[in-house]
Order: sequence, then structure tokens, then C-alpha cells
Amino acid sequence: MPAEIYPSSPRRDLVGGLLWTALGCVISVLSWQMDRMTQQGATLHTAPGLWPGIVGVLLAALGGVLMLRSWHRARRIGWDLAETDDTDYASLSSFALAAGMFFVYALLLVGRGLPFWLGTALFVTTFVFLFHYAMRKTAGKVARGFAVALACGGLTALIVTLLFEQLFYVRLP
Amino acid sequence: MFDGLIAFGHSIWSFCDPLSLGLILLSSLVGVIIGALPGLTATMGVALMTTLTIKMPSNQALLVLICTYVGAIYGGSRSAILLNIPGTPASAASCLDGHALAKQGHAGRAMGIATSGSVLGTLIGMFFLALFTPILGNLALKFGSYEFFWLALFGVIIAGTLTGNDPLKGWMAGLIGIFTATIGQEAIYAHDRFTFGSRDLAGGLQLVPALVGAFGFAELLMAVRERPAPVKINPFDSVIPKLRDVMQYWRTILRSGVIGTFIGILPGVGEDVAAWSSYAAAKRASKEPETFGKGSIDGLMAAETGDNACVPGAVIPVLTLAIPGSAPAAVLMAAMLIHGIRPGPMIMIENPTFVYDVVAMMMFATIGILIYGLTLTKVLIKVLMVPKPIILPIIFVLCVVGSYAISQRLFDVWVMMGFGVLGYALRRMHYPVAPLVLGMVLGDLMEKGFRRGLVLSDGDLMPFFTRPISAVLWITIVLVVMLKLPAVNRRLGRRTRPATPRVSSR
Repeated sequence: MPAEIYPSSPRRDLVGGLLWTALGCVISVLSWQMDRMTQQGATLHTAPGLWPGIVGVLLAALGGVLMLRSWHRARRIGWDLAETDDTDYASLSSFALAAGMFFVYALLLVGRGLPFWLGTALFVTTFVFLFHYAMRKTAGKVARGFAVALACGGLTALIVTLLFEQLFYVRLP
Repeated sequence: MFDGLIAFGHSIWSFCDPLSLGLILLSSLVGVIIGALPGLTATMGVALMTTLTIKMPSNQALLVLICTYVGAIYGGSRSAILLNIPGTPASAASCLDGHALAKQGHAGRAMGIATSGSVLGTLIGMFFLALFTPILGNLALKFGSYEFFWLALFGVIIAGTLTGNDPLKGWMAGLIGIFTATIGQEAIYAHDRFTFGSRDLAGGLQLVPALVGAFGFAELLMAVRERPAPVKINPFDSVIPKLRDVMQYWRTILRSGVIGTFIGILPGVGEDVAAWSSYAAAKRASKEPETFGKGSIDGLMAAETGDNACVPGAVIPVLTLAIPGSAPAAVLMAAMLIHGIRPGPMIMIENPTFVYDVVAMMMFATIGILIYGLTLTKVLIKVLMVPKPIILPIIFVLCVVGSYAISQRLFDVWVMMGFGVLGYALRRMHYPVAPLVLGMVLGDLMEKGFRRGLVLSDGDLMPFFTRPISAVLWITIVLVVMLKLPAVNRRLGRRTRPATPRVSSR
């Protein structure tokens, strides 16, 4: 029985299998509905939807196999048993904050009218300051922490802007 | 033979100008630092450097990328030895004996062994790169659409089989990659597929932003999800490699070099498998297998020689078949295409000296890692001490700018973000990402082979199965898949999982 235990539990695999089967079905249906270009002399084997259709069917089939396998495993070991994960995870809130900042920078600060250097300096400074804040507060060096964050932000903005605009002639967003 | 040597000599000479030498030193250093920093991988490094070198002449750009690649695979050993954290997945095997040696007060000796193993491994791989590429290139000229279809499929299947713990998930990741390659206008009728009216999507998804997302942004997300481990460096002795260590373990070096190169040639498998396979082979051949994992010099030498020999090995199928041998090699291949170099069977006819240019680049990269291996220890320790919250946003800025720089459109930044989220989700669900990349890179070749083959045979599938090389390839694929089926394994009495994994309910 222990040989049946994998890094992810049967429940997770079942959800994954469901998702992939659904995606595979959507791909197959969209491929089937694609223009077959018969007016341009296309046959079944040159139709644009043939290849993605095959890929979609295979994905749905493998998703089905994954679901079936997770169901078989669940019958033997239960739905939630998995290998122990030794990773020391950060709190979900700090992950959400970091991921949120990545998205805000990429989707809102870049290419929306704000000069690139300013957006970059703002992003890096805020990121470094926020993720060092607890450590700096404990050490009673918040002002120093802000100065370090500001230096990181300013230098990154300056170097990246100069590097790309002056050396590689890339017009930054 | 002599023509090859003369061409190699010319290639070496062509890089002996101050700018190229400066680029070698700089990019090897960048590679070593990227490799040494846990969470940043060789693939990410090569992808980011691809975006930085976009405006350079092709040979200099590829020189930078190869030096970064070789440097990153070597750099991973530093954090493996000093921190017991593999800088890249390729260095995971080096943690076992490298860190054990460090705890015994021999971190310097361990770093010396890693340096000598990596340098000699790259040189062995380089020798096979020069030897095999022309031979394989000539063989590849016999390949037609049918063979390329099977070869591309073989690449995705073998990557799915060997790069994760679960072949089924590996194959699914490969299929997702193949699907993403179908987005945009198809090749025969320029018909839009899965574009939903978007003009940006009509051109297809650009490979480099997708790779920067799947490896760069996804790895950043993984890094912020994990709590940073406290950095504790053990005191170390001299890092100068001892000749005795090299002479005593010459068999291990040769064996691991050959294994690493061979695994590199296998499509999409990569350096981590090369390191583990070399390590396992060294343990089997050793008279003292009980010392492995407890500070065995043999084990560390095997792992480091194997993973670095894999780098030139992974470039062999890129040059001859346009099929990457590892994930970083996939990015390297994308960079070649961006720079107007068409890797594949015609390269020995269209551009035969290019192969020797690549061999010369590998040689310079080896010199680069040797220099930094002997001199960079204290500086690298200071880099390892830089807190993650400072490194992560800077890397993310480079991911964004790098994705944007290729075509200067914001859409590519969104592609990078999208693939980052996909790569993160796949990693969290224990799907390997290398087959996804192989699928993206090889999807186009596979589809073209399939459709052209059908057109040539007027819809008849038989030539896919009856041509000699095709037959060898499809039978190999069927065998690889069959050997991973639980029912077949039960019949063969083989166990596919460790007997007693530790368990938790989640």
C-alpha cells in the first residue's frame, strides 16, 4: 500500500484530471468547429483543426486516466493521503502580498503612462521595504531599512533604464 | 578531421578580441551567480540573458548565452556545498556529499572537486559535441516529415517520462505545451486558431516571454511561497583542486562524462537526471558505496562531472535535429532562431563552421568557470548572503523588461505573467515543467511533420509506421510508454515508487 502514496493526494489529482479533461474537451470542440477550408481545397488531413483536435482528445483522455487512477488510489488509501512535504512555507498573506505586487507592477505600473523608471523605483522600493519591515522594526532600524529600500529601487531603475535604453536601444514602456 | 581542427582553430581565434573576452568573463560570472542563488535556475538565466542580448551580433549573443548556461550549472554546486541548498536542480545530487564534506571542514576541497569535475565534464561533453555533431548531422539528412514527427513526439514523451516523479503528469504537461504551440495562424492556410479575434494572438505566443514566465516568474512565485532558510556558511579550506583527487577518480570522471553527455543528447531530459544517473553509476562501481552521502569525493565528482557534461550533450540535438536536449537548451535554440540561425539537419551544409563556433564557446565558458571556481569564493558567499527580498523584485523587473524588449509590446508581458501562473500551478500540483517547454518548442515541428507527412502520403498513415527510422522511433516510444504502465511493471515485478514514503493528510 505505501507504494501507492504520491506527492499529491488522490483528491488533488482528481481535481487536476477534471480540469485537464474539461480543457481537452473544449479544445476538441473548438477544433471541430474550426473552418475546414474546403473552399481552398483542404481535405480532412490538411484541415487546420485536425492537429489541435487530436491534441485535445489526447489531453482529455489522459485527464480521464488521471481521474481513474486517483479514484483507484482513493479506494485503497483514502482521498487525502500524500507524501509529507518538508517545505517551510511562508504565510499565505505574505505570498499574496508579493504576488499582488508583481501583478500591480507588470499590469498597472508598466506601460500605463507612468515613466518606466518611476514605476520600477516605486515597485522595488516598496517591495524591499515591506518585506524587510518586520526585521528592521525588531532591530529598531526602520529609517535605515527605508534608506536601503530606496537605494535598491533607485539603482535598479537607473541601471535597467540605462542598460536597455542606451545600450540595447529598447524603447521602454 | 584536419578540416574540423582548422575550423575549430578559426573559431577560437574569432573570439580572441577584447569585447568577446570581456563578454565571456561577464556572462560566466552572471551564470555562476544565477546558478549559486537558490531559486534562480539555468533556464531562467539563459532566458533572461536572451532578452538582454537581442541586439547583439548572433555569435556574441550565443557566446553570452552558452557562458551563462555553463556558469549556472556549475554555480549551483556552490550553494549545494555551502548551504545544503541546490542552487539549481542539477546540483541536488551534489548536496549529498558536498555538504557532508563541508560539515567535516572540507568545504574548500569540495568546491575544488566541484570545479575540477565541472571543468572536465564540460571538456568531455565538448569533445563529443565536436565528434558527434557532424555524424548525427549527416544521419539527420535522411530524416523526412515522418521521422521529425516521431522524433519530436519522442522528445516530449522522454522528457515527460524522466523529468518528474509521475510520467502521466509529465506527458500531460507536454500536451499542454504542444497545445500552446497551436495558438495563432497555422502554416498551410494561415487560418487563425484559438485567437478569439485577438490580433496579438494571431502571431502565436512568442517562445521567449513564455519561457521567461514558465521558468522566471514561476520560480519567483515559488521562492516567495517558501520561507527563506537562514544562511549559515561553514568555514572552508583551500578551493584549489588537488591533482590527486583528479588522478584518483579518473574512471569516475570519464564514466560520468560519457553518461552526462548521453543523457544530454536525450531530448528534454537535462542536467539533473545526468547528475543523478552519474551519481548512481559511481555508487554502483565504487568499492566503498557506504561512504556515498557521507562526504564521498567519488560521489561529488560524479555528480558535478555528469551535470556539466550534459550541457554540451544537450546542444548536440539542438544543432543537428533542432530538438533541445534540456530546458536551458530549448531557450538556447529559441535564441538561435531569433538571431537568424536555423539549427537542424541542414546546419552542417549551410553553416558548417557554426558547430565549431559553438564548441569554441563551450571551451571559453569552461575557462570562465575555472577562473571563477578558483577566485570567486568569498565574493560568492557575499552574494549568497544578500536577502531574497532584495533579489526577487530586481529579477522580476528583468523578467518584465526582458519579455517586453523582444517585440516591444505589452502583450508579451501578459504572456510572461500567464505562463508564470501556469508554471507555478503546475509545480504546485507536482507536474514537471520541462515537458511543457519541450511541447512548446517542438509542437510546431511535430504538427508540420504530421500534416506534411499526411499530404505526401495523400492521407495514408502507413509511411509513419513502415519507414525504417520511423519504425525505430515509434517502437521506442511505445516501449517507453509501456514500461511506465503499472500493469506492465507489475508483470515485470518492478517497483516504481520508494517503498515507505513519509505521509501526511492533505
